[in-house]
Amino acid sequence: MNDALHTALTNRLLASADDELILAHRNAEWTGHAPILEEDIALANIAQDELGHGTIWYGLVEALTGDDPDRLAFFRDASQFCSAQLVEQPRGDWAFTMLRQYLFDAYELTLLARLAGSAYQPAADAAVRMRNEEIYHYRHSSVWVRRLALGTEESHRRMQRALNELWPLTGQLFSAQPGDEILMAAGYWPDFDEMKQSWMSVVMPFLEQGELVVSDLVDGPVDRSEHSGHLNGLLADMQMVARADREAVW
Amino acid sequence: MDTQWPRWEVFKQDRPDKPYEAVGTVHAPDAEVALLNARDVFVRRPECHSLWVTPEAAVVRLTAEELAAQPAWLDESPGNAAADEIYHLFCRNNFRRSMVAVTYVGQVVAASPADAMRQAVQRQHADDTVLWWVVADSALTRSNDDDIASMFEPALEKTYRDQSTYRGRIFEGRRRGGTVKEVPGS
Repeated sequence: MNDALHTALTNRLLASADDELILAHRNAEWTGHAPILEEDIALANIAQDELGHGTIWYGLVEALTGDDPDRLAFFRDASQFCSAQLVEQPRGDWAFTMLRQYLFDAYELTLLARLAGSAYQPAADAAVRMRNEEIYHYRHSSVWVRRLALGTEESHRRMQRALNELWPLTGQLFSAQPGDEILMAAGYWPDFDEMKQSWMSVVMPFLEQGELVVSDLVDGPVDRSEHSGHLNGLLADMQMVARADREAVW
Repeated sequence: MDTQWPRWEVFKQDRPDKPYEAVGTVHAPDAEVALLNARDVFVRRPECHSLWVTPEAAVVRLTAEELAAQPAWLDESPGNAAADEIYHLFCRNNFRRSMVAVTYVGQVVAASPADAMRQAVQRQHADDTVLWWVVADSALTRSNDDDIASMFEPALEKTYRDQSTYRGRIFEGRRRGGTVKEVPGS
């Protein structure tokens, strides 16, 4: 693998790892606070699964660069993270959390389905491993988005408000990074334009069935180096214990 | 006002050659959510091949004490109504502490829940039987074979969710006279 390909692959793997870690943390914030016990357990499960996916992605980064996954998670600052703003947003209400999860699950399923055929075998193996779990996540989040969107006047209003806030942030998931063309040429990573079309063909009819209206996609962040102001606070919270004793062994 | 969602009984089958067991209840607004909640609450740890859920109200129950008070259950005739619905039968044979309320023992065709129960107590009436449940087949919502890969198989890898994994480590650590530093699954 030449240097350019190595760098591009590392950046993509890190972006996926960071998305999973940050989303897992946001979902874990619901533990003990979800609207009903069964959902508290379900979302904690999902958070744990996403954290597991993050661990897999960081492990692939480590295989390429030698970087310790714990160091990557707990000792980088916001400017060094590659997460998308969609996953950085505070958890909001239950409608916001469920819709964010739905939009991300649909994205992750789209990605994993294609990565399963990647010419980079470790990524293909990882995708196959994660995909079954993600099918269940998608089922769970779509069940809730559908019920809340078509539920009461209040639940519909909250779901529409969540969509208005989240929709402009979805473009960043599919935006090109430097080096993506090298990855695609090598057959290592799928084409983001095609992925976005496929994602839209799943998400749009689903949202329409819920009588939710999608705003025009404008003014969202594009580059993954553009973070929301919320990432700093999340990292301060998440990294506090690890940074309190940098040499501790867990 | 009671704002709690209705309760659903959860029946779990660990492997194709094992009987379904009543493992507990979940709250859910409808059958689809009940099935997902059953998975999230009862299949976090291995292992599971199939899940059934049914509204708590759809389960007809009879205890050994109730049967003793009304022994006619044992000799009532089936009556004239046509037996045309499948009912599933479950029993419990002891008072030992257990996570399982009742275990699947078979199915019958019956004209009514009472007819199904009559067949259940006549068919499964050992001295040690203490509880019978019958559930109409039409009242069950089931996972299917296509669900196994996404709903149940991922849990098989997550041994760190099983407390026995930790217990083993702790004993091991004590035997060595040290403390446990390695967290399984991390």
